[in-house]
Amino acid sequence: MIDIRAAGPMEQFEILPIIPLDIAGIDISFTNSSLWMLIATGAIVLFFFLATRRAALIPGRVQSAVEVLYEFVSDLVRDTIGSDGRKFFPYVFTLFIFILAANLFGLIPSLPYTPAAMHTFTPTSHLIVTLALAMVTISIVVIYGFWKNGLKFFKLFAPSGLPIYMYVLIVPIEIISFLSRPISLAVRLFANMFAGHIILKLFAGFVVSLLSAGGAVMVFGIAPFLGAIAVTALEFLVAALQAYVFAVLTCIYLSDAAHASDH
Amino acid sequence: MVRAISRGAHGSRVRLFSGKLMAKDAGKQNPPSLDEFSKRLNAMRGEPEPDAPKPSGAAWGRAMRVSSDLLAGIFVGTLLGFLLDRWLETTPWFLLAGIGLGFAAGLRNIARSMNNDSGSSSDI
Repeated sequence: MIDIRAAGPMEQFEILPIIPLDIAGIDISFTNSSLWMLIATGAIVLFFFLATRRAALIPGRVQSAVEVLYEFVSDLVRDTIGSDGRKFFPYVFTLFIFILAANLFGLIPSLPYTPAAMHTFTPTSHLIVTLALAMVTISIVVIYGFWKNGLKFFKLFAPSGLPIYMYVLIVPIEIISFLSRPISLAVRLFANMFAGHIILKLFAGFVVSLLSAGGAVMVFGIAPFLGAIAVTALEFLVAALQAYVFAVLTCIYLSDAAHASDH
Repeated sequence: MVRAISRGAHGSRVRLFSGKLMAKDAGKQNPPSLDEFSKRLNAMRGEPEPDAPKPSGAAWGRAMRVSSDLLAGIFVGTLLGFLLDRWLETTPWFLLAGIGLGFAAGLRNIARSMNNDSGSSSDI
């Protein structure tokens, strides 16, 4: 019958070196993950370059899209952080656009008959990538918090106006709560992308195995096929939503750092 | 609702064109202002815009946020307790305290993110 073989649901997450590099025993190969991050970044740069090259007072179609994105993030930063937030706009915007692009590029189906290293890859489906992004955010929060508030930044862990014995309990809880922020940020994005891609692959795998079974069974392949279409639509929503949530939480944490000494 | 409005407009146009009634109608009703129109439109729509239900995507995002906030709190609390125990060789005690405090921190995360939904910075 039809000779097709579905790859396992985990194969899509495999890191494959494209240009092997090894410096002082540390493997820094250019991998498929790096390739897709580069593609995402390149696409963003190209998109914004083309959109703003002939900037007009009355924007064209592409320029409007870019302006909508800009205003969306700009409003988010202003509403969440306040007047101090202006200087964080470049960071939040970069973060939002990069995660959005990386998520969306991962949804493009791989071209058939290409080597596995060229298959579509979602960098944000790896915990180490999302954790690195979260760590950058938290580092900025901590550095900016100390720079802005000095030692009063520690008031974040000890809100004023509590009876003295409560601090024994509240301070550890607040410290753990603060330390859990990067974990929560990273795991949320990673888990969403990872789970979504596994579900997508499982549905697609059902289609393939039902089709290769041949005969009347092939008719049942339509159900997982429709499921795969629905999951793909859902994944587009999740891709945009998780980029947004990451940006929102970055803004909230930055706002906490900016106003740590207020309370 | 939109159909109702357009039917009304259509009806009046028909009346306008039917000779005799034209003068009478034109004298009676001035062309309605835009404010008046939007007032009528809002009345026909019933509920004002802000109370419209949020799209389910936002609810999904919130659900993911809550669950990961709780899990991250428990995870960090447990990990801290475990490491402190290993460092100070007090085996079960910091781990047990860490689990409890981690759970509290997770709930604290949730409370904060729910308060933060309007976009304002954390209170309490």
